[in-house]
Amino acid sequence: MRLLFLAIVSFTLMAPTVAMSRPVSYPGGWTVMTMHEGLRNSAHVHYSPTAKTSLGYRFEYWPDKELTVHAFQINKLLKRWNKTESQANFYLKSGIGVSYSDFGQFDNKSGSSVFTGLAVDWEDRRRFISYENRLTEIDGIDDFFQQSTRIGWAPYQGDYGDLHTWLMLQIEHMSEADQDYTVTPLIRLFKDVHLIELGLNNHNKFLFNYVFRY
Amino acid sequence: MSKLISIFAILSILSTPAIAAHPKGTISAGVNGLVCDFCARALEKTFGREEAVETINVDLDNKIITIHLNAGHSLDDKTITQLIMDAGYDVTEINYEK
Repeated sequence: MRLLFLAIVSFTLMAPTVAMSRPVSYPGGWTVMTMHEGLRNSAHVHYSPTAKTSLGYRFEYWPDKELTVHAFQINKLLKRWNKTESQANFYLKSGIGVSYSDFGQFDNKSGSSVFTGLAVDWEDRRRFISYENRLTEIDGIDDFFQQSTRIGWAPYQGDYGDLHTWLMLQIEHMSEADQDYTVTPLIRLFKDVHLIELGLNNHNKFLFNYVFRY
Repeated sequence: MSKLISIFAILSILSTPAIAAHPKGTISAGVNGLVCDFCARALEKTFGREEAVETINVDLDNKIITIHLNAGHSLDDKTITQLIMDAGYDVTEINYEK
């Protein structure tokens, strides 16, 4: 199992990674993402040399686990379906790095970490649906599997350059988590190069995400 | 001799406006996968790097991009198709306007 996991990560690294926002930008594009969610705070900065690949740095902090992750991440668009009124995408997102824990028996312990996951989304100008998962293994500290899905609806169809508004519902599940399922209704506001998401989950924790793309 | 030079100078002056007046081309292309501002921006950025392109307009409602060329430049079907594919989208049709 571990060999298979490493093989997938290795494949991703050799071959040149969504519920949040597209993990690959246009050629030459930079993206900065900061995410403050119930279980995790993270930041991801990536550069896309092509429309199918992005390379970047990822930082994560898991408050309940007292776990910090620093990783080099590669996102790969495996397949895109472009239709007249819609678009669908299939991504592979993987990373490798180091982690540090302050939790219980793992206090002051660090180890190598790898993660990989698949993401798929479909959208038109008024509807959105996505699913993604991720398997994370941190040497000697932790391993867990997480998955999430989103559905979204735009109350109006804006023109290019307008403020775009989406109402979304996100459902997350994570192995070993005290809170099996997290349900977060949220609002997404998107204009120009800025995207902001605000939400409140069923455990009364706020979600705040911000994406800047240039 | 001076008469010849004068005629040559007059002809040169007369020919100059013809070059300056070279029509700027406009190309429209149908694109599949155009669903959001991000798609539009991707195409703007990709075409914006081309020396031949003066401006590009993206019509999300009709899934059409309109490319205005700089004077004296052109873009062929192959290049336009490749640029749109490089941005991550598919071409449905290309039309040249004068």
